[in-house]
Amino acid sequence: MFQSWRKTILTLLILGLTRALAAHGGTEAAAIDPAVAEKNRKANEACFACHTEAGLKNPPRTDMDMKKLAETLRDPKVFAGSNHGTMDCRQCHGQGYNDYPHSEGSKNEISPCSECHATRVARLEPQYDKSVHARLEGVKAKFTCATCHDPHVNLGATLLKDPLKIAVQDNQACLECHDSDRVFAKYAPDDEKKPGIKKARPDIDTIHDWLPNTKLHWKAVRCVECHTPEVKANRPLSHEILDKEKAEKNCLSCHSANSSLRTRLYRHLVKEEVAQFGFTNSVILSSSYVIGATRNPTLDTIVIALVGLTLAGVLLHGAIRIIFAIRRKGRKQ
Amino acid sequence: MSERIYLLPLWIRLWHWTNALLIITLTVTGVSLHFADPKLPLVEFSLAARIHDMAGIALATLYACFVVANIVTGNWWQYVPKPPGVLERCIVQGKWYMFGIFRGEPHPYRVSEEANFNALQAISYWVIMYMVMPVMLLTGITFLMPEFAPDRFFGFDGLLPVAILHYLTGTVIIMFMIAHIYLGTTGKTATSMFKTMVNGWHEH
Repeated sequence: MFQSWRKTILTLLILGLTRALAAHGGTEAAAIDPAVAEKNRKANEACFACHTEAGLKNPPRTDMDMKKLAETLRDPKVFAGSNHGTMDCRQCHGQGYNDYPHSEGSKNEISPCSECHATRVARLEPQYDKSVHARLEGVKAKFTCATCHDPHVNLGATLLKDPLKIAVQDNQACLECHDSDRVFAKYAPDDEKKPGIKKARPDIDTIHDWLPNTKLHWKAVRCVECHTPEVKANRPLSHEILDKEKAEKNCLSCHSANSSLRTRLYRHLVKEEVAQFGFTNSVILSSSYVIGATRNPTLDTIVIALVGLTLAGVLLHGAIRIIFAIRRKGRKQ
Repeated sequence: MSERIYLLPLWIRLWHWTNALLIITLTVTGVSLHFADPKLPLVEFSLAARIHDMAGIALATLYACFVVANIVTGNWWQYVPKPPGVLERCIVQGKWYMFGIFRGEPHPYRVSEEANFNALQAISYWVIMYMVMPVMLLTGITFLMPEFAPDRFFGFDGLLPVAILHYLTGTVIIMFMIAHIYLGTTGKTATSMFKTMVNGWHEH
């Protein structure tokens, strides 16, 4: 009871603090003091001594549950490159992990993301609640932020910058379940037609049959480009994940001069966009050629003019031929 | 009864009309893809993409057959403007298109089994079929297999030069097609050349 109150008060305090920071140009993720980061890195070495592939091969102790350990391995390099890479593991996992064996029930003491990301969670939760993952019977309870956003791996778009890298990272979150029967079964709801039997994972290639160049799309854009509703410019991507019935199927949403990629995958780069060689959507062209979106209006005008002149030329030539033929015919008569 | 010669064997006629059908299909779908816009009444994007891909593969296959058949039958020789006096013949032909045709003068060079094309025709067909078409097909195939495109191109996606070359060569072929269809009306009658392309017989 006390713990729950403590968390609520802490959340409200952080919410107030982050709002105050934002008002003064601050951000939620303030830069960390290098000395603190180094202290955290050293503290984390104790965790990584066991929770890595190397730790599993050469465990520093003999009394560990190796099966459990094998399920909780991390890559220290990947973690160091992630958004949370400078933090002490115990900042989220709590003090119950100071010693081994870890304290009973310490798994339940892991801080919720809202403890630090209160503003974001408050804003995104109503969107998420409309998601296919939140609306399916029995699925919502199994979902947390970390189900999709691996806090040991993910790097924010503004830090990752390269849209192709962002696509790989973010699609991995979806494919981890949707491309694995084993993981999908962990979250799957009951089959609508066969009560008591878990829904089978639909084959990812088959359900995207309608999409031309499917593999190329998956390399270049994220699942969420189509599987979230479009938001206004300058607004963050919606967390309402749409099912296949509601997902975007209009290709022109991206493949046109007014491409929605500007408010989605390329949103973080649009402010820095520099028009290059007169191309529309130059910001996209730096990573991908998107037919219909990355056009050069000057080249298009020249091409249309050339084809128009050819057509006009033959029509004029034909008209003169007809006029001359009529005149010749008149003379003969 | 006018004089006529059997000029075009069946394989050339079949190739020509299949080629024409595919190029018209590729033009309509290509325009729909490049100028994709919710305000324009074009072919739906994903349908256009699928048709364009299939017609492109068909055209590339047809082109390979065309090249082989040209070598086997010796038809390739028709596309070579024979010296001497190629330039002079081009000028004479050009003057006829610009002036003589209006005055009702006859074609300056008579079509024969040995020379199906006048010098201007031979040169333009050669440029289109052996220079522009291969570039358009190779860039199109690269679009289908983008892993063969350069990864980067001066800070842009490597598909950009492929796309621009495909766009420009496609445009040249569309311009050629417009002129080609029109020049098809300059035979003995406005329809005689089209009939030749159907039955193979040329009327002088």
